[in-house]
Amino acid sequence: MTSYILLVLGAVLVNNFVLNRFLGICPFLGVSKKLETSLGMSGAVIFVMTCAAAVTWCVDHYLLKPYGLDYLQTIAFILVIAAFVQLVEMLLKRYVPPLYSALGIYLPLITTNCAVLGVAVMNVQNKSGFVESTVFACAAGCGFALALTIFTGLREKIERADPPRAFRGVAIALVTAGLLSLAFMGFNGLVK
Amino acid sequence: MKVSPAPFLFRGGIHPPDSKTATAALPLKDLPLPARLEVSTSQHLGAPAAPCVAVGDRVTAGQLIAKASGFISANVHAPAAGTIAAIREAPTPTGRTATAIIIETDADAPAGEPPYKPIPDWREQAPRSLLDRVAEAGIVGMGGAGFPTHVKLSPPGDKPIDTLILNGAECEPFLNSDNRLLIERAEQVWEGCQIIRRILGAGTIRVAIEDNKREAAKALAAAMESAPDDAHIHLLKTLYPQGSEKQQIYSVTGRTVPMGGLPMDVGCVVENVATAYAVWDAVVNGRPLTARAITVTGDAVNTPTNWFAPVGTSFADLVAASGGARDNLAKLIAGGPMMGFALPSLEVAMSKTSSGLLLFPRECVRPYRSMACINCGRCVEACPLGLMPNELSQAAEADDIDEAENRHVMDCFECGACAYVCPARRPLVQHMRRAKAVITQRRRAAAQQKKT
Amino acid sequence: MITSILVVSGIGLVCGVALALGARYLSVEENPLIGTVTELLLGANCGACGYAGCGGYAQAIVAGEAPPNRCPSCTPEALAQISAALGIAPIEAAAREVALVLCRGDDEQAQKRFVYDGITACAAAAAVGGGDKACRYGCLGYGTCLRACPAGAIEMVNGVARVHPELCISCRKCVAACPRGIIRMVPAASHTHIFCSSRDPGATVRKVCKVGCIGCRICTRLAEGAITMDGTLAVVDYKQPLDNEELPAKCPGKCILKV
Repeated sequence: MTSYILLVLGAVLVNNFVLNRFLGICPFLGVSKKLETSLGMSGAVIFVMTCAAAVTWCVDHYLLKPYGLDYLQTIAFILVIAAFVQLVEMLLKRYVPPLYSALGIYLPLITTNCAVLGVAVMNVQNKSGFVESTVFACAAGCGFALALTIFTGLREKIERADPPRAFRGVAIALVTAGLLSLAFMGFNGLVK
Repeated sequence: MKVSPAPFLFRGGIHPPDSKTATAALPLKDLPLPARLEVSTSQHLGAPAAPCVAVGDRVTAGQLIAKASGFISANVHAPAAGTIAAIREAPTPTGRTATAIIIETDADAPAGEPPYKPIPDWREQAPRSLLDRVAEAGIVGMGGAGFPTHVKLSPPGDKPIDTLILNGAECEPFLNSDNRLLIERAEQVWEGCQIIRRILGAGTIRVAIEDNKREAAKALAAAMESAPDDAHIHLLKTLYPQGSEKQQIYSVTGRTVPMGGLPMDVGCVVENVATAYAVWDAVVNGRPLTARAITVTGDAVNTPTNWFAPVGTSFADLVAASGGARDNLAKLIAGGPMMGFALPSLEVAMSKTSSGLLLFPRECVRPYRSMACINCGRCVEACPLGLMPNELSQAAEADDIDEAENRHVMDCFECGACAYVCPARRPLVQHMRRAKAVITQRRRAAAQQKKT
Repeated sequence: MITSILVVSGIGLVCGVALALGARYLSVEENPLIGTVTELLLGANCGACGYAGCGGYAQAIVAGEAPPNRCPSCTPEALAQISAALGIAPIEAAAREVALVLCRGDDEQAQKRFVYDGITACAAAAAVGGGDKACRYGCLGYGTCLRACPAGAIEMVNGVARVHPELCISCRKCVAACPRGIIRMVPAASHTHIFCSSRDPGATVRKVCKVGCIGCRICTRLAEGAITMDGTLAVVDYKQPLDNEELPAKCPGKCILKV
């Protein structure tokens, strides 16, 4: 149990995917203008990451490992994740329209996002078991959600501020992201 | 009968210099009848009254000249005998325009009978008939907002009132009209207060007076000696805005009016001392509300004076009677400096809610440049409601009115404590006022849409 | 070597089949016309058509609930394309209207009553004693319309708002935003306008503004029915042709201009 708690804490705070590993920067900057959209994105990322980790673990464990094809990891994972997300999108659209309208537009955006692929690859590197992989992926997604939500709050405030001309828009957003990343360095050493 | 400090104190608040000394000791003076009175039909909150006289008509003092038109509205009476010279649009002290009835007064007209039958034996009369009298006499809350008193005094049956608070705080700097009224006419105010209690059927009376007006408290205590009662005078700590309803209820009773709620939700009704005086005058003398106490002061007027002047007197006449304005006059404010309204000129007539007229010289009106919010949090500390004026104003400035609404901008009653303490000199109240106006407009539009 | 090819192909095949089956059995019907029409509309989401954004309007057009010419920003070509896509007879574009600020009382021409130093929003300024402009119908010049304009077509010239007709997309946002209610939609083809909204009597207008309508009625005679009087204010009736070249020169209030 302790190991799982540490795993979750590590993935959410210490090795935050966005602020520490710098993965998934694209949606982090792209959809952080309004809280509503960022929450939708967060939900989609958590969902996709968890599912992708589960699927890729299976692919890795039952297909690639037995045939010694570890070097095909990246291509196989991308293929599987992309197809899987597409399928999930169709399922949602058909059977859970409210959830689709909430997450729908964000799902294709993160189909082959580096954060999603990263979590799959990391699971293989760490030689994690199935449960461990999914928990880690879910926690990583939560870490992404946390970073995105905080950043969105900051950006909403920046939107109303009056920064010097040269800093307006993305420039001040990047500076803020950097500062937020520095702040998260404070969690270093929390686990282990 | 006891005088004691108030048991509670609301959060926040500020200490502006009270600047009351110039007029604190000056007795109320009756203003000589001006030649022209400009009586607005919109001296209260709610629908303007509908004029019921025509140009050229002769009116007697106290005659009804405009009828209340709607549930929240109030009658308007002629303050003096004379002839209706015109009925036209005119500016009000609150910065809007409304239909005004202009009366050329007749100084030689005999005083005549009071327009309504005096009820000296009000203790034996039914509360209902007293309430009708309050409505007939066009009495409104004279503390500033001008909410029709008869509406306030008829709370719905499911909201029992157990406490009547008589508001003599007068927390606005410079003003002394309520203070002088208490000192000089304490007995009448006290009797008016008892009439209001009879109408409400409220159990206890609590009088709230700021502790820098001990003379007023003493005068009222003396008046109350003769009428033994369980009433109580609470001396409030001098702090702005003690005079605001919700803050005063908390200071006196410890009850918190819920957000978006009214004093009656916690069993309280707050009435201003000037209103109590008007109620006394209407019930005991049968005279409608046509005159009130008003403080004319500030460094740009020659002789600051506390007047008892007829409603509709032009501010220009008031200033002329107060020895005229000095050359360095730069800013005019109707009401107190915190919540009053800046006037574009003296060609505006006083209303039932005009408690003061302030004239400030150039030296007092420092031009300033407002800057970006530095999030220092002083406004949050000062806000008596616990709102966050910094966030509200920034949201309003960025036109994010929904955000301002989510953060309860509609609860703001524009006391100005936040703007007073703001080191960046941001026009916080104005931002909030704008946000509130936009929200009100939206709600009205939405309601209209629902109807159709 | 062969295993790897087989494995990757296998994964690809399984995924492909799954997706194909998904597309076959899980797809949700949606009229492709809606997408086409949405793309042909300008995409400004200005709301001038009365629907929630271009998407909503496209839906209504396809459903036959609305004619396709409600969009004021739509070019004739796009309109023709929409009609073609819908398979209906080409609909003629409604005459283009542009917003016009009916006041030219700028800082030099119009008087001010006091110095206003509050926030720069017209409604806020109007709430302070009715606004600093002496004329209570005049443009306050604090740029509320300018901020409401999604097309950047409004400019402040010397304290008075001016719409650039070539940039105006006819969305009417400024009309709704102006607390004075002095912005009016006029046909883009008309060029002679009366730039005043004051309903005050002539003497009052003269006192506060050098370019205001004084209600002299000279223009009504010259315009032969294309200008009517609304109280003391002359108003152009844009349904009538107005081609008297002399009008601007003959107006004693100097508020008729050809632009």
